[in-house]
Amino acid sequence: MDEKGIFQVNIVTPDGQVYSHHSRRLIARATDGDLGILANHLPIIATLQIAEVRSLRADSDNHEDAIAVNGGYLEFQDNVATIIADSAERARDIDLRRARYAKERAEQQIEKAKEVNDVDDRLRAEVALARAVNRINVVSKHR
Amino acid sequence: MAESLMDIKRRIASTKKTGQITHAMQMVSGAKLTQIEKKSNSYLLYEKRLQETMGHLVANKIISLYQNSGVEQSQDIMSLDHLLKKRPIKKTGYIIVTSDRGLVGSYNSTIIKATLDLLEKNHHGDKSKFTIIAVGGTGADFFKKRGCNIAYEYRGVEDVPQFETIKKLVKTCVELFDAGAFDQLYICHNHHVNSLTSTFTVDELLPISRDVADDVDYENLDNSNKYIIDPSVEVVLQKLVPQYVESLVFGSIMDAKTAEHAASMTAMRTATDNADDLISNLSLKYNRARQEQITTEITEIIGGASALE
Repeated sequence: MDEKGIFQVNIVTPDGQVYSHHSRRLIARATDGDLGILANHLPIIATLQIAEVRSLRADSDNHEDAIAVNGGYLEFQDNVATIIADSAERARDIDLRRARYAKERAEQQIEKAKEVNDVDDRLRAEVALARAVNRINVVSKHR
Repeated sequence: MAESLMDIKRRIASTKKTGQITHAMQMVSGAKLTQIEKKSNSYLLYEKRLQETMGHLVANKIISLYQNSGVEQSQDIMSLDHLLKKRPIKKTGYIIVTSDRGLVGSYNSTIIKATLDLLEKNHHGDKSKFTIIAVGGTGADFFKKRGCNIAYEYRGVEDVPQFETIKKLVKTCVELFDAGAFDQLYICHNHHVNSLTSTFTVDELLPISRDVADDVDYENLDNSNKYIIDPSVEVVLQKLVPQYVESLVFGSIMDAKTAEHAASMTAMRTATDNADDLISNLSLKYNRARQEQITTEITEIIGGASALE
């Protein structure tokens, strides 16, 4: 990068590149807690939780992009941060109504799975719930 | 005259209608092809990145093992995850990707024939040595009829496959692998080269072969390439490896589906061309018959007129 303290952030999902911008600071939730990345960080590979990823844009003073990322992991090397996840959505692309609907559905599924003691189904529904809650959080914080 | 004018006319009309249908089907397949090609391109990026990271991670583990205890130890990476471990091969699994529908030209027969050759070569027709996981109805029906052991069949792959639906298939495969239904897994599908050609490809899926580590450049390894792994190599691998397998299967199915749309498009284009040829032949025949009839009529009139004189 030409300027100091700036690095590239790419977020890639099976549906293509969701996010690609220059950033000054990237904050993601790793397995053990939040992980902040600035330029010239040492190479790192970290698994991520289903949570929000925030990137401070290089082309503005205080604009922060928020992206809802469903797990996956982060790799940083040579001032390029790549996040690879099953799915990821930027705050502005999230359909709030659908997320709320998904949340309700997941909650119902958890109830149903608890009644019949289906551990697999419950775990799956819990992941779905976490995704929906994450999307709703990201939207409500940044819109 | 074998056929009457009316008969030929009727045949032309019906051929025209069939041609219209095949032409429409060609257009539909063409539209689907562009759609899936677009998606394939964005997907390839994901697959590439995933592969890169997988390579980095494996390389990283190899470096530290290499630095600590020399090259023999670096083989140990493969025992880190159950999907990486090589087991003695008692049974082999094959995922065979075919289409659900027909009208795709030689698409299905190519795969089935090549697969049969492969099975013959690897197992000499011994049905107890292999299991089949069929994706797509044609393959499932064919191998069922032949009395092969089918561990799982999956029908109804969307025209443009979704990652979420393929995940279930992969999960089943991994479960079967863990349960010991097979000790290695191959995926057979048609690889899309361009809209006219596709080639049969077989890829080894499980256990994940050493290929990922092949790019490792042992000479240039130094500590600048060394990654911090959070929280630990084992945990990261546990998450990364299934994602990697998913991406491989999804990539293959995507590739196969692209080839299917292309094959369907080519088949329908040939059908349309044939219909056009048939129509032009029939029109020629029709016009000849019509002219012949006129000539006969004129001869009759002239004959009648001269008889009156």
